[in-house]
Amino acid sequence: MSPAAPRQKYLALAVLLGPSLAGMFVFLMLPVASSLVLSFSNWDLIGEIQWIGLDNYVAALGDPVVLGALRNTLTYILGYLPATVGIALGLALLLNRRIRGRVVFRAIYFVPVVTSWVAVSLIWKWLLNPQYGLVNVALGWFGIKGPGWLFDPQWAMTGVILTSIWKDIGFVTVIYLAGLQDIPEHLYEAAALDGVTGWQRFWHITFPMLVPTTFFVTTISLISSFQVFDQVWVMTQGGPAGATSVMVELIYKNAFSYYRMGYASAISWVLFALIFAVTIAQHVLQKRVDRSDG
Amino acid sequence: MADTVMHPQRPPHPVLRTDLSPEGRGARGLDLASAPPLPGGRGRRAAPGEGAFRRSPRLNLPNLATYALLILGAGIMLLPFAWMLSTSLKTRGATFVTPPQWIPDPVTFDNYGKVFDSAPVGQFLFNSLFVSLTSTALMVLFCAMSGYAFARIEFRGRTVLFYAYLATLMIPQQVTLTPLFIIMNWLGWTNTYQALILPSSFGAFGTFLLRQFFLRLPREIEEAAFIDGAGYIRIVFTIAIHLARPALATLAVFAFMASWNSFLWPLIITTDTSMMTLPLGLSALQGRWTTDWNVLMAGTVIATVPIIAVYVFAQRFIIKGLSHTGLK
Amino acid sequence: MLRRTFTGLLLATALVTPALAEDVTIKYFTFSAAPNYLKELDATIAAFEAEHPGIKVEYETAGWDAYFTKLQTVVAARQAPDAFELNYENFVTYADKGALADLTPLIAADTGFSTDVYNPTALAAFAQDGKQFGLVESFSNVVLFYNKDLFDKAGVAYPTADWTWTEELEAAQKLTDPANGVWGDFAPIQFWEFYKTIAQNGGSILSPDKKTVTIDSPQNIETLTWMIDKVNKYKVTPSDVDMAGQSSEDLFKAGKIAMLRTGIWLLGDFAANAPFKWDIALEPGKTQKAHHFFANGVAVSATSAHPAEAYQWIKFLTSSRAAVDLRIAAGWELPAVSDAAAVQGYLDQPIPESREVVFQALDTAVVPPVIGNWNQLTDAVGKELEAAKLGQKTPEQALKDAKVAIEALL
Repeated sequence: MSPAAPRQKYLALAVLLGPSLAGMFVFLMLPVASSLVLSFSNWDLIGEIQWIGLDNYVAALGDPVVLGALRNTLTYILGYLPATVGIALGLALLLNRRIRGRVVFRAIYFVPVVTSWVAVSLIWKWLLNPQYGLVNVALGWFGIKGPGWLFDPQWAMTGVILTSIWKDIGFVTVIYLAGLQDIPEHLYEAAALDGVTGWQRFWHITFPMLVPTTFFVTTISLISSFQVFDQVWVMTQGGPAGATSVMVELIYKNAFSYYRMGYASAISWVLFALIFAVTIAQHVLQKRVDRSDG
Repeated sequence: MADTVMHPQRPPHPVLRTDLSPEGRGARGLDLASAPPLPGGRGRRAAPGEGAFRRSPRLNLPNLATYALLILGAGIMLLPFAWMLSTSLKTRGATFVTPPQWIPDPVTFDNYGKVFDSAPVGQFLFNSLFVSLTSTALMVLFCAMSGYAFARIEFRGRTVLFYAYLATLMIPQQVTLTPLFIIMNWLGWTNTYQALILPSSFGAFGTFLLRQFFLRLPREIEEAAFIDGAGYIRIVFTIAIHLARPALATLAVFAFMASWNSFLWPLIITTDTSMMTLPLGLSALQGRWTTDWNVLMAGTVIATVPIIAVYVFAQRFIIKGLSHTGLK
Repeated sequence: MLRRTFTGLLLATALVTPALAEDVTIKYFTFSAAPNYLKELDATIAAFEAEHPGIKVEYETAGWDAYFTKLQTVVAARQAPDAFELNYENFVTYADKGALADLTPLIAADTGFSTDVYNPTALAAFAQDGKQFGLVESFSNVVLFYNKDLFDKAGVAYPTADWTWTEELEAAQKLTDPANGVWGDFAPIQFWEFYKTIAQNGGSILSPDKKTVTIDSPQNIETLTWMIDKVNKYKVTPSDVDMAGQSSEDLFKAGKIAMLRTGIWLLGDFAANAPFKWDIALEPGKTQKAHHFFANGVAVSATSAHPAEAYQWIKFLTSSRAAVDLRIAAGWELPAVSDAAAVQGYLDQPIPESREVVFQALDTAVVPPVIGNWNQLTDAVGKELEAAKLGQKTPEQALKDAKVAIEALL
């Protein structure tokens, strides 16, 4: 950048960054910092605050309920992430072909993304109704007796995962589409000269070229999956028998039902540490792949 | 992360876009917007084109299969909405019949009447629109300015500030609500529009998104402006914002969506029915003892249609924003 | 800060010009009025304001699910409304934590008013350590609703007060008609139903001093087994999957459940929407009778700037004839007043016939064993009951595990 006079630079910083920083500080950073401070207290929201040091963290790490919620969260991620990324990749490949009406298709696949989680969860709760829901009725056409879905601890998480995949696929697809458009045409042309087509072309050109995109969607989906909450809250409230109890649901319950804001904050920061660690790990992995990529 | 900050001319590392805001303050969906500056780059950028396949569309076997798959998928995407609409037009009795009715018989609009009777829906609609539009405009403005500053102005503590922004995305909103409420109360802002608007006018995500976008812009244009004596501020408002239009539009859609669908914060900060927004009305339709699905679905339709309309209107821009065509 | 100074100035101005004394505005927060009884609440407020010039009432409502999230947040910010509604269980928590104003001196100073107007048991629920922290607004209980048409069709005699679980099961088996999707009997398997049902078999969750956990007693295991057997063994009660997201109340209204244990808050709904003859009866017990007792109270915030005016409002809301009449006419729960004449209007309503059962059930009321960590206790026990219901654990194992969970909370 052209060297600007320091004074001009600081003026520009004040004007351009100042408002954002002020807003971020007051409305986001301060509350986040407060939650860190509160995690060292046993505040019940109603009475006075007492400071209890690391007790909340010690309790959280040994709490079977927290570990159960963590396990359920990981189950959710395992079910949700590969399926979403895989289906979205396939869909992006289809939508990247020069076919008529692809703009319309893209729009359709994106509609669930912009619909609110509350609305989506309500609709799917209804679709997954064991007797009257569309899903089991459709399974019935093929002679399959559908499960109890959200009422069955074996299937409830699957129901939540299906709903989440349905909602997020359009989003991941669009990112893949952008990635596909970044692949230089000449690579395919060269490959065509060598007689490489079809599956091989995908495997040797498209897929490697999409690695950065895949890293990208995997990471952002991981961060949001760790904080899965809305759909769980509307659809199952963590049930049945705790089968869909996830981290943020536990945090919400502790904060607003059990009067344990301090504990809820501590669990949040444990979750933060996890997300942060995964993000860093992803960063390192990506670097390694980049390097081996040349 | 640090090295990218030090060498902004290098295409941004994808992990930087892990900036991502999960639901809490703004919607996971916002992430979409970060697609424009996607990796790929590395100097091998495609000629702007229609994708990898240059053949003209023909009805051959693969194409038929493609259509079949796409139509099936589109059906799966749309059926739930059709079901929502259908249920919203059913009587209570027709809601629970086997096999389920696709076309309600009889068709009734009573459910919509009930929704409008249960609450001042018109006022809620106005509040939702006003709050969402205002916060979206502010979000886009603040993020464009700060994104440019992060991308182009070097200053001490920039990396640390980045991390501070990032951290706000990794803590669930559920535990920051109460502190935020206390701050708002201290400002004397409970039950005001500014309290509804401002928290969704700032976000690390938008700042990062636009920072990434600006990082990818060639500097030549700005260099020329610098030589002409323009400062950073003038460049932002005359050149950068203009160039970033598709990215701004993308951010706008997601900012609007996040604000429109926001529930917990409006619930807590509004005490007066005249200040409440649509999601609050929707939640009030679920009774403590029984739920009228048909009425609830009517409310869902009312809350969903505007957001889909906004999307359909803006989707042209989104696709542009995603296709790196900002410089064409 | 600026704003505070400004308010202070305003206040000072108001003090030196008493002639312009402003109306006091009381903020009231309620869950029970939304969404169905807003008109009655408006009318009650109008009647109050007419009687108390100088006091205005502004109210805010929230649905049950959102109400406590919001109440806690405003209390945390020291911005609690002047008066707010609390159910009995949450009342205990708020009173324990010092969030409520002690009304005892206000009541003592209120000449011409006696708390005798309230049902004494119901009022006592809102006192702690001899201090009255709230006034009882309404109560409700749960009784046995039954569909007379289904009984007639199956040729079964209607339930009477001396029925036990044995007669109930026999009748339920005759009433169950899988071909028509009719179930004989319904009671949910969850915490609230559980603590009452075990009382019908002489069991309890905690010892009377709340120091010992008694949830895994043999008679409790027997009770839970019976609750589950009605679903799995006798198949007279639908499972969650059978119910498919419909509430038991919806199924009753559709004529698909013959006997239903549910709350009297549904009397109005059923009277209006159930297209068949039905009535209510006392619940059958095993070794003794036991009925739920739920009460809602209204309290004044400990931080209210106008406790005296807020007290006037909650007194009016809970005991004035105007408020009581509005409530009864609308079926907006049952005012907990002692005056029989006041509730005569309730008994006089034609459907269902045996409305006096509601008051008879009060004689065998059981109150939930509320402790400090109440919501955690209900969730922890609820989870175990669900595991037993789903067959993941035996009733015995579930109750043993529940005992461990409760002991950790005491």
